[in-house]
Amino acid sequence: LAANRTYSFKVVLLGEGCVGKTSLVLRYCENKFNDKHITTLQASFLTKKLNITGKRVNLAIWDTAGQERFHALGPIYYRDSNGAVLVYDVTDEDSFQKVKNWVKELRKMLGNDICLCIVGNKIDLDKDRHVSVEDAESYAESVGAKHYHTSAKLNKGIEELFLDLCKRMMETAQAEERAKGNGASQSAATRRGVQIVDDEPQATPAGGCCSSG
Amino acid sequence: AMEREATDNRPEPGHSSERVDSYGFERPCDFDSYKEMMNQYVGVLNRRSMRWSRLLQQKPEVEKNLTVKRFVRKGVPSEHRAKIWMAASGAQQQMESKPGYYQSLLAMEHDTKLKETIHTDMHRTFPDNVFFQSHAEAGLQKVLHNVLLAYGHHNQAVGYCQGMNFIAGYLIIITKDEEKSFWLMDALLGRILPDYYSPAMLGLKTDLEVLGELVKAKAPAVGQLMAQYPGIWTLVVSRWFICLYIDILPIETVLRIWDCLFYEGSKVLFRVALTLILHHQTEILRARSLPDVCECFKQMTCGAFTMDCHAFMQKIFTEPGSLSMSTIQKLREKCRQQILEEESRRP
Repeated sequence: LAANRTYSFKVVLLGEGCVGKTSLVLRYCENKFNDKHITTLQASFLTKKLNITGKRVNLAIWDTAGQERFHALGPIYYRDSNGAVLVYDVTDEDSFQKVKNWVKELRKMLGNDICLCIVGNKIDLDKDRHVSVEDAESYAESVGAKHYHTSAKLNKGIEELFLDLCKRMMETAQAEERAKGNGASQSAATRRGVQIVDDEPQATPAGGCCSSG
Repeated sequence: AMEREATDNRPEPGHSSERVDSYGFERPCDFDSYKEMMNQYVGVLNRRSMRWSRLLQQKPEVEKNLTVKRFVRKGVPSEHRAKIWMAASGAQQQMESKPGYYQSLLAMEHDTKLKETIHTDMHRTFPDNVFFQSHAEAGLQKVLHNVLLAYGHHNQAVGYCQGMNFIAGYLIIITKDEEKSFWLMDALLGRILPDYYSPAMLGLKTDLEVLGELVKAKAPAVGQLMAQYPGIWTLVVSRWFICLYIDILPIETVLRIWDCLFYEGSKVLFRVALTLILHHQTEILRARSLPDVCECFKQMTCGAFTMDCHAFMQKIFTEPGSLSMSTIQKLREKCRQQILEEESRRP
């Protein structure tokens, strides 16, 4: 029965302004890279469907504004997240410090249930690197996060990042399922947004609901 | 070079560099529908232009009265726009009463952090505008940087908030003048708008709630649907307010809205939002999930309805029905209190 199920996970991208959050999502979901894109001001999400060892996974990846004051608009973006991708720019030491703040915030708000990834983006600019690989990796390990290096521009490391994250989120969900016993009506998992539903074709929102003429 | 006639700009298929509007924006995808609209609109513009010239000949001072209000609602022609915005918002008066102030802000020692934050957004402000591209000759990036830096020191409580870059950009495009753009920023952020851009963004959060209340009253079914998704207004309309419709609606439409914003105040932002929502009720009510709703709110800002700025502006004063400033004020007070109470309860 378990093989016929679809996992729905919510993943949120967080990190300082201009580290490449939007570029990572666009590269992963639409395989696009645009040098000319504008400041992100309003959170939005893109979706991606995966098939991992025979199990279907629907990912909703939330992109957020980087400037700190926009967090005043509410924690709704990460409240029900199963995973968080904390992005920094390898050429910008400050952006790595911001990641550390995010780890504290998320652990405080969501405890250990959320799968954390720390991502050093822009490795195409490795010659200007200001965050050492050893520091970043040992920090990630110390807080129970996995560390990745990516380049949205060159499409490096991104598939691996999200695939790994999905596998970890599936393990967490399966562990929770086992702990609660199969058939438990309101598990912590469902409350947190992991919907493990019987696999049936869903009405897709493709094309939107408005016909603009 | 900035004053390019849109009507002279014939699109040549295959030459994307020619598909630039009169404000310098490259329009690779919608240039033809833009051109088509402008060809229709040029008649209105000429007529309004003559009327305005006559009015300003008789009364060079821009007064606040019903005639001028009507004139503003029908659109300020581009040659008078900077002057009318400056006069109506009080920016002109401020500028004249503080000569040299803007220059002194630029000359002072600058906050490094602020400077860096502004710098981060320079290449992310209108990369599709030929004047704002970093390689542009006599490019406007430096001007933009100056206006934002000066404003950040002038209003240190706000400093720099993302979104201000787009607003300053539009002001620069219209006024073609650094100092005037600064004083119009001051009018908008200091007097016309509530505190949208301060670190707590309380004014913005309040107005999102106010819009929710107005929708509940004017389109209960939509209000009910939206109530299923807590926090949804932030997701679908915060950019409408933060950017004052820049990059949400077509530029010609945004400028017409700003005419009213400078003359009548922030109420017009609700008129626009309500018109968009009321006009697309059927589509919104078809939404079955959060992604549906988000997609619907994205789609409703596109297409002929918003492109035809003259008809759209007539709609915003009829479709939402009456909307008094006192209603808005009361709702703002109520929602602000609610938000503050809620936040004080949070650990």
